[in-house]
Amino acid sequence: MIPIEFFLLLGGILFIIGAYGALTKSNAILVLMCIELMLNAANINFVAFGAFNGDVMGQAFVVMTISVAAAEVAVGIAILLNAYKVRKTTELDDKQLQTMRW
Amino acid sequence: MFDMSTIFGDYTAIAPLIFLIIGALILPGIHLLGKRCTVTWGVALALVIVSLIVNVLMLTDEYVGETLGIVEYNAYSGAMILLFQIVLFLAVLVSNSSVETTKLHVGAFYSLILAATTGMMFVVESSDLLTIFVGVELTSISSYALVSMKRNDSRAAEAAVKYVIIGGMSTALTIYGISMLYGMAGSTDIQTIADNIAIDGLSIPLAVGLVCMIAGYGFKIAAVPFHMWAPDVYEGAATPVSMFLATGSKKMGLSVFFQIFLVIFIAGTAMSKVAGPEMQYLFAIIAAVTMTVGNVVAIAQTNIKRMLAYSSIAQAGYILIVMAVMTEYAASAGMFHMFTHVFMKGGAFLIVGALICAGVGEKIGDYKGLAKRSPFLAAAMMLFLFSLAGIPPLAGFTSKFFLFSGAIGGPDGVMYEWVWLAFIAILNSAISLYYYARVVKAMYVEKGTTEEKIKIPKPFLAGIVICLVFVIVLGVYPQLLYGFCEAAASALLI
Repeated sequence: MIPIEFFLLLGGILFIIGAYGALTKSNAILVLMCIELMLNAANINFVAFGAFNGDVMGQAFVVMTISVAAAEVAVGIAILLNAYKVRKTTELDDKQLQTMRW
Repeated sequence: MFDMSTIFGDYTAIAPLIFLIIGALILPGIHLLGKRCTVTWGVALALVIVSLIVNVLMLTDEYVGETLGIVEYNAYSGAMILLFQIVLFLAVLVSNSSVETTKLHVGAFYSLILAATTGMMFVVESSDLLTIFVGVELTSISSYALVSMKRNDSRAAEAAVKYVIIGGMSTALTIYGISMLYGMAGSTDIQTIADNIAIDGLSIPLAVGLVCMIAGYGFKIAAVPFHMWAPDVYEGAATPVSMFLATGSKKMGLSVFFQIFLVIFIAGTAMSKVAGPEMQYLFAIIAAVTMTVGNVVAIAQTNIKRMLAYSSIAQAGYILIVMAVMTEYAASAGMFHMFTHVFMKGGAFLIVGALICAGVGEKIGDYKGLAKRSPFLAAAMMLFLFSLAGIPPLAGFTSKFFLFSGAIGGPDGVMYEWVWLAFIAILNSAISLYYYARVVKAMYVEKGTTEEKIKIPKPFLAGIVICLVFVIVLGVYPQLLYGFCEAAASALLI
């Protein structure tokens, strides 16, 4: 049987990759995808802990997380489309997106 | 008193939510059939008022019960639900007459705002990490949509993009923290987690989980250093929505802090060294930095909505004192400050919204000579701002008095440990007076370009009068709501 540390390590690496991408990428769609990676890292943790503790709550939580993530991406893409119509770009570091600071 | 359980049966614990859920589902349809904004607004307002009455009856009846084994109604959730209903009532009341919200898809707007409030109420009724997470997400996702609903407005589009990306990050951090906490403590029920941690003590994965959760929920209350989204969002959104987010959404984040961390750590410290002084100092530093940054940056603002946003960050910092002190007296004082903050900040945002309807801009410079143009609005704005700064005999003074006296020990005698925190908070109140007084100076002393009288819509006037009455009454007679807060704090911490 695979020890639980391996799952946690996989989850941790995935989370760090996602966080790094979300903080450094300038394209809004890519940032949303990196956030998905971070959410899935947590899902791996949940499934692993649920299986090792013999508890269904972990799996139940994953189902909830997936549906919440789907809703969030749906709203997020709609907001990005709206912003694209106004600003004609999905880049996050252009001049127009820096009108509001401090 | 009238017994609600004869009407709602097993579902009494979610009785105040039922009306809002129904409203969120049917309002788009009603707008399609009724075709008039006023009809939709009337139905939404009626549902909110019915829900408010049901909750007040249950709260004064001291109802305690649970539904489906996942949500529980007690003195704490009742008081917090009352707070969210007041916020929702004020936001819905003015939405039909504000020039910013009548151009939206009206049915969807009311549906979303009701759904967001449902999420907040769901959070305060639950004692499980899963239901808290789902409730927070319901509120957050609805708020993203609410912010971006102001179409063809580049500032709103920009604010919504920032909000959804930072909100997504905070969700991911939170859920990762929850997964660690679940794995180490073996449960998602907060009380069980508290008991298990008390036995096992703090380990490194557990600490990682707790820090991730503090950061994730810190985004929701805009605690420094996770505060950068708040001023942008409050500036970009329509003013009723800004009011709703600044007073409602932020209180939800703070109630999550109370429900998770206060419960876990107070239960833990009673039995063993779980939290210890490290966690308390962590929260104390977050509180001190949050209030200082909020107040200092607010000085530099020229847009009044941004200034109010930074003042909102500072107020969240004051309430975070509760998390450092971790006593029952401090928790009740923190809840009382949440109530007074709703009326002060809500009233100030309503005046800003009313003035936008009347064609006055959002800059502080546009407020010059307001006392001549509308003596009532200027006086009301002055009272709200002085209340936020904490000048007696207004509500802000009373609640800050309770809060800061909680930091130095309250009725249990003097505690020297947190005197420095109370000192920083009082110093910050003095700083905040500077930028509030600048608005008052613009209104009363400086001469404006025009002396034309201002007419504002009636619902705005009603909302402002309600806030004003509560700001004055709670200042001289805090027992009106403080009794509920005391009962709530003792119900939360058992």
